[in-house]
Amino acid sequence: MRVAVIRFPGSNCDLDMMTALRTIKGIEPDLVWHEDASLGGRDYGAVILPGGFAFADRLRAGVIAANSPAMARVKRLADRGVPVLGVCNGFQILVESGLLPGALLRNSTLKFVCEWTHVRVENTRTPFTSGLRQGQVLSMPIAHGEGRFFLQRAELERLEKDGLVAFRYCDASGKPTAGSNPTGTLHNIAGVCNKAGNVVGLMPHPERAAEALLSPLGRPDGALVLSSILRKSGGGRRA
Amino acid sequence: MNAEQLGLGLTPQEIATVRMSLGREPNETEWSIIDAEWSEHSSYKSSRGLLKLFPTTGARVVLGPGYDAGVVDVGDGYVVTLHIESHNHPSAVDPYGGASTGIGGVIRDILSVASRPIALIDILRFGLIDKSGHSRWLLKNVVRGIADYGNCIGVPTVAGEIEFDDSFERNCLVDVACVGLGRKGDLILGEAKAPGDVLVLIGGGTGRDGIKGATFASKNLKKDAGSERSSVQVPDPFMKKLLLDSLLEIVANHGEIRGMKDLGGGGLSTALSEVASKGGTGVDVELKRVRLREDDMSPTEIMISESQERMLLVLPSGPGGGKNVISVLEKYGVPYSVIGKVTSSPRLLLRWDGKVVADLPASLVTDAPLIDWPYEKPATPRIAPRHAVTAAEPGLKDALLALLSSPNIASKRWVYQQYDHEVGLRTVVKPGQADAAVMRLPNGRFLAIKGDGNSRQASLDPYEGAAGCVAEACRNVVAVGAEPIAMVDHLQSGDPSDPEVYWAFRETLRGMADYCKSFGLPVVGGKVSFYNEDSATGRAIKPSPIALVVGLASREANLRTMAFKHAGDAIVIVGETRPEMAGSEISARFPKSIDLPSRSPRVDAKEDLKTCRAILQLIEKGHANAVHDCSGGGIGVALAEMAISGSLGAKVDLASARTSCSRSLETAFSESHGRFVVSGGDGRVISSSLRGAGVKHAIVGTVGGASLHLAAGRSPLASVPVSSMRSRWEGAIPELMD
Amino acid sequence: MAFFTTKGRTFEVSVVISNKPGVREPEGETILHDLVAKSGFEQVESIRAGKYLRVRVVAPDPASAKRLVEKMCNDLRIFNPAAHSCEVSIGRVPGR
Repeated sequence: MRVAVIRFPGSNCDLDMMTALRTIKGIEPDLVWHEDASLGGRDYGAVILPGGFAFADRLRAGVIAANSPAMARVKRLADRGVPVLGVCNGFQILVESGLLPGALLRNSTLKFVCEWTHVRVENTRTPFTSGLRQGQVLSMPIAHGEGRFFLQRAELERLEKDGLVAFRYCDASGKPTAGSNPTGTLHNIAGVCNKAGNVVGLMPHPERAAEALLSPLGRPDGALVLSSILRKSGGGRRA
Repeated sequence: MNAEQLGLGLTPQEIATVRMSLGREPNETEWSIIDAEWSEHSSYKSSRGLLKLFPTTGARVVLGPGYDAGVVDVGDGYVVTLHIESHNHPSAVDPYGGASTGIGGVIRDILSVASRPIALIDILRFGLIDKSGHSRWLLKNVVRGIADYGNCIGVPTVAGEIEFDDSFERNCLVDVACVGLGRKGDLILGEAKAPGDVLVLIGGGTGRDGIKGATFASKNLKKDAGSERSSVQVPDPFMKKLLLDSLLEIVANHGEIRGMKDLGGGGLSTALSEVASKGGTGVDVELKRVRLREDDMSPTEIMISESQERMLLVLPSGPGGGKNVISVLEKYGVPYSVIGKVTSSPRLLLRWDGKVVADLPASLVTDAPLIDWPYEKPATPRIAPRHAVTAAEPGLKDALLALLSSPNIASKRWVYQQYDHEVGLRTVVKPGQADAAVMRLPNGRFLAIKGDGNSRQASLDPYEGAAGCVAEACRNVVAVGAEPIAMVDHLQSGDPSDPEVYWAFRETLRGMADYCKSFGLPVVGGKVSFYNEDSATGRAIKPSPIALVVGLASREANLRTMAFKHAGDAIVIVGETRPEMAGSEISARFPKSIDLPSRSPRVDAKEDLKTCRAILQLIEKGHANAVHDCSGGGIGVALAEMAISGSLGAKVDLASARTSCSRSLETAFSESHGRFVVSGGDGRVISSSLRGAGVKHAIVGTVGGASLHLAAGRSPLASVPVSSMRSRWEGAIPELMD
Repeated sequence: MAFFTTKGRTFEVSVVISNKPGVREPEGETILHDLVAKSGFEQVESIRAGKYLRVRVVAPDPASAKRLVEKMCNDLRIFNPAAHSCEVSIGRVPGR
């Protein structure tokens, strides 16, 4: 399956994502420059927006990137059901593109935080979680300063009711405790999806947890997320 | 205006030398160029002669000192590049801006030899954060500055060191080092070799940032500290990222860049004069072609501006020349302008609208005359090591817990958690797991990185103290399973015109040089910074030599972390403990309780070489599963950290260690060099391997339980639950800072 | 098609983007508790932090200038309506 990884000026996890995707048999990743409105004219089975500091987070993380030519095409693909994954800054770009709800605000500690966390899989009906079990606990690292998910109370309740939370921070046993919430994000939310279930955004970095060598627990859990798109039972259609 | 009216930093002798050498009076622009290049910061005039003492060659050394970065061969066509920078003065005035431009600067040097920056290391010194709100403010903002820049640009900050001492209260030291990865065949040097080649200035616009910055670093901070804020440069990590991405793409696609130099201290003056001088050529530059950020800048200001994020490229001329370079710059939106060309006449020729405004021999600008300062050993040591013993000696448990909560020893997680240390997918051993960071290399090997300094030891005995920094950095690299292969150093002192300060500086240099020679460690680069003084008292900081060492491990199976691994593992202390309490953390924490007839720790490079080789052998053979070096807080703290990391206690008999101390407190916390704590499944196998290598050691105990039990023979000395140790060690800095 | 003619005067328009009431504000809280309250300014009850943009536009009159900037903020998501409120006012000083 061909996967597009969109690179913006200031993206810095794009090459990492390419490296991680290449370790998964069956995935051929392409790096696509943000100015390419046609995404190279190729058909992609999925699009990934990697982490980093697109446009140095100027004005607000993700907002300038959301207006680039490649994103115009990604929005149309998303509307057609193509799987789209946004990681960290990519999640912020998806929120600013209107493809995912809410806002990602500054961490309540006001500090950038880089640490390995546990997240619980809350929704297995997306193309990026179809290979996982409901409630499965994954070990993946976060590294961000603006990852506090926010929605007004009524909308947040509706989000939960509709099952649109994809990942939730938890302790090693899977309990979403206050202590396992690194940023003050509401309801320990680490990732969400859209109503159609084909667009997913998460703050943790699966590409950094795709190899046992790089994981302090020796678990390549990130590869499970990335390789889910190869499963036929995933949501969404090809472009 | 003549030189005396211009307020230059040059001495009267230097001014006379310039006049004589040139045969005429330089104009204002020419004086400013020479002033910037002949500043201590740019020219190393007070140290260049002595730096020749360092051993700089070796089988793996591709480029030694004198270039933008040191280059070391790591096999299979790959090289690792090293550079270290400091930004002490700017950081004392504007800690956030100073620290982030320090990061920007060190990355630029790594980039300018055409290697990809893969790791940052921060080595910091502040006043006492448990006593001073000002030092807490400095720490907070320096860390934020490093984090914001390094994280934005996507280079992980993976290792570091922080020392807290009163002498740094108003003159904090901010050292940042960078390691890069490249291919030997792709290296680009900072030289303009071919007359006719084109000079292109790329990156940010030129403004008035840091005007007089190079001389600022060489001035004492005491006068007008408040008004110095405009001398700090403004960082722009976004522009740096565009430079990084575009330059590395050009290199990967074999775009033709004939020479490349970053613009750092002294701005265009330095860059142009150095590429000419190194290339044996000259330059002819039209200053009106330089892209400006501010209106009405004079030629002088343009030449000495230190605006950040600028690089100088030397490209081939002629039709199509440089096209593959320019097209990539345009793709990334990196601004550029062609400012001049390389000439065969070895002069720095600058024009303003065609008219010549400066015409100097390139070598005059780059070869500042060396200064041989007088030096004099202090009659009495500056810091009296003895206090009257007026308080009871602390119990071992109280002492250990006090040390673990001392900021110099406590967990630095509060700091490194703000740094993205995972980006790049290379960080295999992460901060907090072991004595050094370990990055994976594309050829299946692993690179260990650590930097160390110890200003207390260096002030008591500059020679041994400086050598001790090298010894400690090497031990840290060995503890993770890597063989030390190269070093960069940074020597930091006060005012060189003070004979006692200069004596100490000479001793630190000799100490490091001698150790490196005996240990067989080449020095591939480094920095010297003078004029570090407390702005209020005028007192010089403690001499602060820093050693940044990299090591190579051949396979993943050879990597080790410090955590105790299994209950039942044997614990072996390698090396001999001596009563060398002066300068130790315990004597700083309990100044009135520890009698100090003893001196500060001494090194033995030959013994260390033997010991390090033996440790690597133990690891290679699979006999040791956890290794930690002994430094701050000695054996006691080393055992505690291994226990905390592994969530496993231990039973240790201090009396069975190889020690010449008469008291258990000294054995536990002396900071003698050359020691490691090792644990593994079979103590006898470890012991026989060490015996075979002729290395002093002793089996002292076993891993297990939930507490650290220390005894002296039959007498129990202390039982400390691992959980108590952890809460003190982890909580100390967050409690002060948050 | 341009909505507004480029003829007219130059106006300065202030844009203040702040978190909606009800959104937790750690930055403002920190400035209040850790700096202001500790330094003797006990009369200060609350501080909220935000972002300020000063926009210079050409428009026929102040009302048009304000409308133009409001449209710009809405269309280009200068603020995120899920979490931010956006106040646009004529003049260098917000709120007039």
